[in-house]
Amino acid sequence: MSEQQHHARKLPTDIEHIPIVWRYELLKHFRSWRLIGSIAIAALVIALIFVIPLATGNPPSGTDKAVKLFVSGPQGISIPSQGLLLPGNAGLINRSVVVVSSLEVFQDGVREPAANWTFSSSGGNIIQFTHDTTGHTYTATYRWHDTLESFASRFVGFANLLIIICATFFGADAIVSEYQARTGYLIFPNPIRRVSLFLGKFGASMTASILVISVFYGAAAALSFISVSGLDKNFLTSFAFALEYMLAVMAIAYLISTLFKGTTGAIVLTFFLLFLILPIIDAVGSTSGFRAWWSVTFSAGVMSNILIIPYPVDSVSDIPSAGITYHNYIPDPATSALVMLAYAITAIVISMVLFRRKEMTG
Amino acid sequence: MAMIELENLTKNFGPIKAVDSLTLSVDEGLTVGFLGPNGAGKTTTIKILTDLISATSGRAMLQGINVLTDPKKALTNVGAVVETPEFYPYLTPIETLAYLGRIRGMHTKEIKDRTKEVIRQVKLEQWTTTRIGKFSKGMKQRLAIGQALLHEPDILILDEPTSGLDPRGMVEVRGIIKELKKEKYTIFMSSHLLGEVQEVCDKAALIDHGKLLIYDTLEKLGTLIKVLSLEVMCLGDVSDSVLSKVRAFSNVKEVARATSNTFVVSLEGGPEERADLLQQIISTGVKVTGFTTVGVPLESLYMDLVKDSR
Repeated sequence: MSEQQHHARKLPTDIEHIPIVWRYELLKHFRSWRLIGSIAIAALVIALIFVIPLATGNPPSGTDKAVKLFVSGPQGISIPSQGLLLPGNAGLINRSVVVVSSLEVFQDGVREPAANWTFSSSGGNIIQFTHDTTGHTYTATYRWHDTLESFASRFVGFANLLIIICATFFGADAIVSEYQARTGYLIFPNPIRRVSLFLGKFGASMTASILVISVFYGAAAALSFISVSGLDKNFLTSFAFALEYMLAVMAIAYLISTLFKGTTGAIVLTFFLLFLILPIIDAVGSTSGFRAWWSVTFSAGVMSNILIIPYPVDSVSDIPSAGITYHNYIPDPATSALVMLAYAITAIVISMVLFRRKEMTG
Repeated sequence: MAMIELENLTKNFGPIKAVDSLTLSVDEGLTVGFLGPNGAGKTTTIKILTDLISATSGRAMLQGINVLTDPKKALTNVGAVVETPEFYPYLTPIETLAYLGRIRGMHTKEIKDRTKEVIRQVKLEQWTTTRIGKFSKGMKQRLAIGQALLHEPDILILDEPTSGLDPRGMVEVRGIIKELKKEKYTIFMSSHLLGEVQEVCDKAALIDHGKLLIYDTLEKLGTLIKVLSLEVMCLGDVSDSVLSKVRAFSNVKEVARATSNTFVVSLEGGPEERADLLQQIISTGVKVTGFTTVGVPLESLYMDLVKDSR
């Protein structure tokens, strides 16, 4: 090489190397069946969660037309499976959310003026009549939908599984494959530090995973707007926790990938550790009375719980027939955030140190 | 100027010394063959030089920079082919070279120009946009050499560059290396193919059990060769009595009939002994039509030295 070229060329810094690796690793994910497969899984999960209730006659929203309003004294309260139930001259609509603007009440088939009744959704959807209802037949027509919270909860509960799949697909063999597939012989004898390689690869794995999780949350949000006319106010907080959980489990997957010598072992351990082993420990805690606050999978529960208002608290219930006491431990949001962050940082640091020292033998 | 310097380089794998206080220096512009039997420590040495593994002790310098302490800087001007590398199967040769070029600090235009050049050099023009996952081993090996040349490094480190190739592939790769020699690259290549080393190298280093046995120019090594195999072709059949007479000549270690008119003599000694032998054979009355060395001359030296070290 000429002296001129020597001087003209400037070796990228360690930080400048990261996006170079990131870009080409991302290309790998974009061209692999794993990304397509995981997006397909996300789409399938969304579709099943949405379609199955529709197919079984439990849609998330709809219109009840001319539903009979049973009006009777306090002693004769009738409780229909859906529609209205009422004590005395009040009716209770047995739906999650009633769209008030659509509510129409009829007395003997004639529309009842709005001045003759009031609607309240606190403590249930109650129609309170201002006059005696004895001797009349009352019906109501209204649009209704599930609460934003319950609709979002249907989907968010499955984000955990999707995140584990992403960590397995995009992280579990990211490092070990360089050794097993011998691509390390191509990339390592270059003027690039292993830490830059690691961070570039990690960034690409996270990008691919975030894409999948975003598709999942995005589709769930879109369906929420379409079906229940809005989005739970904590939905984005749940998404933020999902991203943090993704970061933590991806770091664990990279740590396993750095420790293992074969891709199969790394993939299997990553999946079963996150899907089975740690959740079993969490579950044992519920029956044995210890709170696995330090478990990353226990902390992941915050993704769903954050949608519930008020935020749930720990509870204990006795099951006399089984002779056990069941502790329903609820992860605290702040602690969970710290635990997931601790897992991410610790696993990334250990992985980088091990990767730097890992030798290309065999 | 020494482009590659190994100083008391040692690598232990548990109780096994894979490289044992190896000291070696390769000057600028030379092509040096790194010889040794399987398990001698050749690949281990090259892996240390290319930051694939660490050393237990000693120094491994590339252009005066210790690869053990500053691998990024030391490898800036190095192109390497270690073992038979695998490529990312989802990339094409052009994308692979662009990736490696960017890592090595090359500019976009330079990458484009050099990619075209090395693709031509390694004869992969028709495969530039095919994903490497579909490549044969020979094509991958050629691309491996291409990527090593991409940034026109001062030093080329090649670990058994013809390993696993078919005869045609071996000839092609040796041709590429010979062309590179003309371009004044400093080439350090390991091989156990002695003919290959003899064909392309200026100097050869022989190691066994991680220790350097000998390191010199091929001319000087040639003078150390003790036993040569010579093929003698005659006009007409050669009788057994002639072979018996040849066996009795001084410095002759062994005589074996090859065909009815050809026999092979193992001779101890140099050019003078060879000339004496020819005269003595002619004196028996046979008409000699051919008198040539067979096999690789370096082979006998290699066998002697390796045998002595074991």
